[in-house]
Amino acid sequence: MAVSGFEGFEKRLELQFSCDQVSSIGLRELDFKSLEQVLHHVQCTVVSALANQHFDSYVLSESSLFVYPTKIIIKTCGTTQLLKSVQPFIRLAQTLHLHIVSLRYTRGSFIFPESQPHPHTSFNDEVVFLNNNIPQTLCYRKASVIPSKLSSHSWHVFSAGAGAGVEYSDDVTYTVEVCMTDLDKTLSRKFFRHPNDGKNGDSAGKQMTEVTGIGCINPNAKICDFAFDPCGYSMNGIDGDRYSTIHVTPEDGFSYASFECVGSIYDDDVPEMVKKAVKVFGPGTVSVATTGAGDDVCMRIFKGMEKIGMKGRSWSIDEFLAAGTVVFQTFTSRRNRIQ
Amino acid sequence: MGAQVSSQQRSRSRSRPRSGSDHGEVLSVHSSDNWNTLFQNSRSSNKLMVIDFSADWCGPCKFIEPTVHDFADEFSDVDFIKIDVDELPDVAKDFDVKAMPTFVLVKKGKERERIVGVKKDDLHRMIEKHRF
Repeated sequence: MAVSGFEGFEKRLELQFSCDQVSSIGLRELDFKSLEQVLHHVQCTVVSALANQHFDSYVLSESSLFVYPTKIIIKTCGTTQLLKSVQPFIRLAQTLHLHIVSLRYTRGSFIFPESQPHPHTSFNDEVVFLNNNIPQTLCYRKASVIPSKLSSHSWHVFSAGAGAGVEYSDDVTYTVEVCMTDLDKTLSRKFFRHPNDGKNGDSAGKQMTEVTGIGCINPNAKICDFAFDPCGYSMNGIDGDRYSTIHVTPEDGFSYASFECVGSIYDDDVPEMVKKAVKVFGPGTVSVATTGAGDDVCMRIFKGMEKIGMKGRSWSIDEFLAAGTVVFQTFTSRRNRIQ
Repeated sequence: MGAQVSSQQRSRSRSRPRSGSDHGEVLSVHSSDNWNTLFQNSRSSNKLMVIDFSADWCGPCKFIEPTVHDFADEFSDVDFIKIDVDELPDVAKDFDVKAMPTFVLVKKGKERERIVGVKKDDLHRMIEKHRF
């Protein structure tokens, strides 16, 4: 493990807003300059973007942003101060008469926690910051660190909601966040740019999507990809109203990849997608956190991972009023049996 | 959800003169008739036409709009056409537009290349490639 390096583990924020009397496009009506200003608070910029009739997706210099009519999802890595976007987003939504009804902040365990700036210096600090920066109306709050048997992989969740009467989720969709470390060296080499390849970030990204098999994870999705110089890769996939997103830090010593997608009880393709995503990277350790998924989905994810040679190491559950049930599973590959 | 927005759209850009632009403008096409005329004219000319399929509710489209105008200035020998997928859904369907923005490069009535999503460098490169 390197002494220091790029922090691949992301911080993820999901903000849900009230939808009574909202215009059909809601938050999508926000002008781009305003969004850019918020991103500036978080020290990231838009690198690529793609939309369909359901939502807007942006590939950022440090991960991704998704804007639905009543929901914002922003995920950033490195040393970005993601939580500083909370108040600006809430204020922007207010200009459209939208009020926040729930917030969920999640992340794994940082590889280089000492390199994180305030308020990300510790989970305690993050919780204090969140408690001080969200409106009183979000009165049902819970912070939890879900452990695994691996000290390097815990799942941190902060969830806040406006009350029991609010409909937080549709009971149909759920989110899956996969974090992979210790990537197979041969596979991660594919995420390095070739010097003098004559390509730009867009076309190099497209090539990486094809060559690595990422394009096959969900063949239905329209993909927006980007390859960073000298290495690194990001993509957003849009498929109807569901997004998927992949981010790769391929450097040896702190290699990391994440895969996140939305599942639906009407479509049982998610366990298969998780399996395909993990195969792209051949990681030594994988964690899978699902939010709002039923037991059957979690079991199928578990079994799918075992089929590709990953050994299940832990399975933990926690419940949150606003977020629902969070299941956190960890796996290690055969080559990592001693850990 | 997006398709029902048309009735609530804010003001659209005013109709432009029907002739092709030669001062680096982006021509917004609002009617099927106008589009058909433009397309027919394009078939008999050697000029590259870049069609920007976008929508009012598309954030990425708003993000790249200034760049499209810059390209229209830079490549004054290229026709830049903007089509709103809610106004001309049939044209969007003809060109199989599923995500936005979609840029379709057309020459002599045939699609040469397309770019789906905001990819400024690629779009610039494609226009340069098919320009002459």
